[in-house]
Amino acid sequence: MDYFLYPGCSLEAGGSHYLASVEAVADALGLNLIEIEDWNCCGASLHYIGGTELQTKALNARNLAMAQKQGGHDIIAPCSSCYIQMIQMAHEFEEEPELAAEMNEILAEADLSYSGGLKVRHVLDVLFNDVGLDEIKEKVVNPLNGLKVASYYGCQTTRPYGEYDSVESPHTMDDILEALGAEVVPFDKGTKCCGSGIFFTEMENCAPLVGAILGAATDGGAEVISTACPMCQMNLEIYQSRVNKMLHTEYDMPIVFVTQLMALAFGKDFKQSALDRNIVSPKSVLQPSA
Amino acid sequence: MATKAYDKSFREEVYDKVDAGEEIKLCMQCGVCGITCPLRDEMTYGPRQIWSLIRAGKRDEVMNCSDIMLCTSCYTCKVRCPRGVKVIDVMHGLAHYALQEGIVPRENTSKFGKFFWNSIYKTGRIDETEVPMRYSMRRGPIHGIFETLEMMDIGRALLSHKRMHFKLGPGIPPSKKIKGIKGLKKMLDKAEAMSPGKEA
Amino acid sequence: MDKNYACYLCKGCGLGEALDFEALEEALEDSDISEVKDHEALCSPEGVALIQADIDGGVNAVLIGACSARVKTDEFTFGKEVLVERVPLREQGLWCSEAEYEDEEEAGEDRQMLADDYLRMHAAKLGKAEIGEPFQLEEDVEKGVMVVGGGVAGINAALAAAKAGAPVCLVEKEDALGGYLGKMAKLGPQSPPYQELQDTGLEELVAEVEAADNIKVFTGATVEKTEGAPGNFSVTLSNGESFRAGAIVQATGWNPYEAEKLADELAYGTSDKIVSNVQFEEKAKAGDLGGINGVAFIQCAGSRDENHLPYCSAVCCLVSLKQAMYVKEANPEAAVYVIYKDIRTPGQSEEVYRQAQELGVVFIRRGEDYPAISGSGPFAIETQDVTLNDTVEIEDLDMVVLATGMVPNNPSVVEPPLVALGMDQDEAAKLAEEAKAASDDWSVLNLEYRQGPNLPTLKYGYPDSHFICFPYETRRTGIYAAGAVRRPMRVTQATEDATGAALKAMQSTRAAEAGVAVHPRSGDDTFPDFFMQRCTQCKRCTEECPFGAINEDAEANPLPNPTRCRRCGVCMGACPERIISFTDYSVDMIGSMIKSIEVPDEDEEKPRVIVLACENDALPAIDLAAKNGAKWSPYVRFIPLRCLGSLNLVWIADALASGIDGILLFGCKRGDDYQCHFIKGSELANVRMSKISETLDRLVLESDRVRVEEIGFGEVDKIPGILDEFMETMEEVGPNPYKGF
Repeated sequence: MDYFLYPGCSLEAGGSHYLASVEAVADALGLNLIEIEDWNCCGASLHYIGGTELQTKALNARNLAMAQKQGGHDIIAPCSSCYIQMIQMAHEFEEEPELAAEMNEILAEADLSYSGGLKVRHVLDVLFNDVGLDEIKEKVVNPLNGLKVASYYGCQTTRPYGEYDSVESPHTMDDILEALGAEVVPFDKGTKCCGSGIFFTEMENCAPLVGAILGAATDGGAEVISTACPMCQMNLEIYQSRVNKMLHTEYDMPIVFVTQLMALAFGKDFKQSALDRNIVSPKSVLQPSA
Repeated sequence: MATKAYDKSFREEVYDKVDAGEEIKLCMQCGVCGITCPLRDEMTYGPRQIWSLIRAGKRDEVMNCSDIMLCTSCYTCKVRCPRGVKVIDVMHGLAHYALQEGIVPRENTSKFGKFFWNSIYKTGRIDETEVPMRYSMRRGPIHGIFETLEMMDIGRALLSHKRMHFKLGPGIPPSKKIKGIKGLKKMLDKAEAMSPGKEA
Repeated sequence: MDKNYACYLCKGCGLGEALDFEALEEALEDSDISEVKDHEALCSPEGVALIQADIDGGVNAVLIGACSARVKTDEFTFGKEVLVERVPLREQGLWCSEAEYEDEEEAGEDRQMLADDYLRMHAAKLGKAEIGEPFQLEEDVEKGVMVVGGGVAGINAALAAAKAGAPVCLVEKEDALGGYLGKMAKLGPQSPPYQELQDTGLEELVAEVEAADNIKVFTGATVEKTEGAPGNFSVTLSNGESFRAGAIVQATGWNPYEAEKLADELAYGTSDKIVSNVQFEEKAKAGDLGGINGVAFIQCAGSRDENHLPYCSAVCCLVSLKQAMYVKEANPEAAVYVIYKDIRTPGQSEEVYRQAQELGVVFIRRGEDYPAISGSGPFAIETQDVTLNDTVEIEDLDMVVLATGMVPNNPSVVEPPLVALGMDQDEAAKLAEEAKAASDDWSVLNLEYRQGPNLPTLKYGYPDSHFICFPYETRRTGIYAAGAVRRPMRVTQATEDATGAALKAMQSTRAAEAGVAVHPRSGDDTFPDFFMQRCTQCKRCTEECPFGAINEDAEANPLPNPTRCRRCGVCMGACPERIISFTDYSVDMIGSMIKSIEVPDEDEEKPRVIVLACENDALPAIDLAAKNGAKWSPYVRFIPLRCLGSLNLVWIADALASGIDGILLFGCKRGDDYQCHFIKGSELANVRMSKISETLDRLVLESDRVRVEEIGFGEVDKIPGILDEFMETMEEVGPNPYKGF
């Protein structure tokens, strides 16, 4: 099955292991990912400081227009921030004809146009609804054998549209993890915010948010936290040592992408699953024998 | 208890010039936004009360309040608002408007966000190495070196885990541009001109 | 009637295993019932066929020992010619009792005695019951409906009744139809997407009335006199016209709460620019809203305020939203403020609130205190702003609108306290005089009723009704209230209300024709029969009837009006001479049930307690508690009453004299928020009981032996606790000393 892939800036850098694992999973499941040509940044969560709302919409309209030039496949945006920016534009384009006309007026500056109709999908959406749990189970050759996982969705994975899962109590990642043979531990911070785009610049204020998430996962007995958002992964992982220092804690919690766990369960090796790129290494819990 | 008269000029300014500003008309002051905000404890007013202040015409209180740039964009308020007010969009709109008016609600985020947007405008993408580097240098090279050193462990870790491109310093080497950068710039200029409060 | 009895006992639902059926048969030895049959499942087609075959063979009085009379009613109804008495062996015998009870000589003996008693009790009742004929008016039953009040509710009631085929006489005191609808400029948004003001639609409504050939309109007229009863009211109007009506809809609407009373709080009267919402509407209608650049609406002006109207009129918020839209429509730039305590816009009205916000109306939430208005135009307002936790000022207001509430256009009737009943005649008369003086001295219907010319009201002048179950009802059968006279409401609600009341009115003429009761005993074809030779003209029945059904002649003889009667039996309970009875419910019948309980000797230490229980709420709750698995003492026997208000004190005397140790009375919640289906039955029983402790003292009996409890249908869980606790009390006070006399 063919999909457009919108990697986004993060997956080119700090979230490179997300992209690698998404590709590994796609390979195992026979999904054909076609990268949108010459895509641009979606604006992510700090767009508003330098740009206006309309400018951010224009960024996303351009990506939709670029995709449409290549065909009519659904677009997978693995990064949650990219996903909501893009899906918001896609929705508003369908619902607000005036805005749609404005967008085409703007797109015309770059000799582009967009006629609507493209669907923007999150990775979890495609995995849960297009692939399905049965097929995922079938593909598992290396079950996770009761690995204790805290399923952390964060914010923008499901909010605000709740397109494919509940905004208040999502379950798709839990189900996928269970299909891989993992044990999803009780975890009440699954949809709480990590600080997102302002974590880096507001660390004093946001460290307690990350601390609470790590704490709840630890209390629930999790060995790893699974996520599907590069921003969450980054805030929880690369700043973990900082947070420990600030809050006087000693968390040592690997933060992995759900796609990394899938790749591993589907028989890819540690490196193919890009698990070697995790800074808080999940090696000891994922490869106890190694 | 300062008694101050209701003044309609500021609310009209917000309706006209702030992105999504008209959304606040629909607020019924239930307070769900404030109570669900992850950073509620760090805020002076929170979204609900900011809307009240706008309606009352308290321009200084709102524009100089750092709350408007403390939004993490978690979307909880937007999802739970019974009136469907796009709380986040208004907060973003207010932050943008304050900066435009020369007010800096949160210094670090404002600076970082500016580099962030510049990267988009100049190259079409965010360079995750370039932007933090420029941000570190915001107070000059000396301060920048210290701040870079402070973040060095993280940078090194990212580099060694293939999650960051190597750079000697800002612009060395320069960030890659998308092919259609010219067209994108034209689009962004056009969009800016069409934005509320910016129409010629 | 000549009765040919048979008894059928069911062995289903575990009864067969739990009870000794030979013993049950023996329990009926002293009765007239000799034919006793049992069946594995009496409600099965075979079981029903067994009974039907006997009925076909001549049986006409059937005692069914199975489940509660509240279930399987279709199966166990055998037509008008057959008396059926149900014995609730399952619910009140089997389910609520333990297979073995404390200190039993023989396991299960208490449960068996319980079942035996129930069989005897109901056999005794069946023995006294008769089949009667439904009541018929001497005159032809009139099917026409009189509607009083020609506003939105009245017009719609008239149209609804007329469309359903009833001739209608519509009486309006003004010279034209319309009421307050005619004084409105516009209606608020009434249909999706609830954004546009709408025309009132009055002209169309009036045209529809005029086009209807079965509606007769009397304008400029009021009702001088209404006599008679449902199916046969005679009405005389102030213009001399008279006609018959089968039923009446009172849709007399509302009056605005007088803004003059707000002079101190809200400066009303200091300027003609400080107006009530009604005055503002008049200005809007006159096209007089030009030049407003600033206006503030003050909500709850004299509403939800102990010093004014304590209640919420439920319309003022919407009215202000509508009026704010008038201002914004005339001048979009105008600064419009609504200063409120709570915005109350239920249902789709929320969309109107939203629309007003979209238009830029600013809402300021005040606390309990009224805003302070200053100036003589333009005005300034200083008010608390709860959402800012600050005091704020609003200046440059060209107008201030006080959103005042609604008062029913109906005379307020204060009833004498019930304790007056049975008091010394002079004292009671004094209380009645006081109540009369506190009541309004005008009338809408001028009813020729013993209990007065007006509908009894609740404390704010709204006609009294069982608000939840029977909203349109008043305490005068066949007379229904609709629209804002019933409770504060807006145009759309009054329109719906009118239809409901009109259909209820038509139903009541049908009931009068069939000789059956209206709600809550719908379809009951029995009615109270007065054995007049023994009447002492004590007036208790005429005074206590909650529905004013009984008139009096000059000698104080009661003159019953069975079509006004709801069949609650309150008169039967009130009558000291016990001359009032129904064919299937009488003082003697319940007394016989009590007397047929076998009371063990004192040394057996098996006390007996009877519970006289209201069959509307308490009895279903008891059945449900038993169904839910609650258990209680097997010494308790329940006796259903139509209403606790039908309680006759002689039953208490009978019970105590026959050695019953304790008596519980289960009635509905009483007081301001009463739940009694018959308004004051529960209250009356309580008043009667308050007088009984004296009697008990005289008999050297502890007053603890008799207790009244309020049981709501929802209070199923309370029942076992109440019974357990009462049994403990019985243990403390010891056996009834009259046992064995």
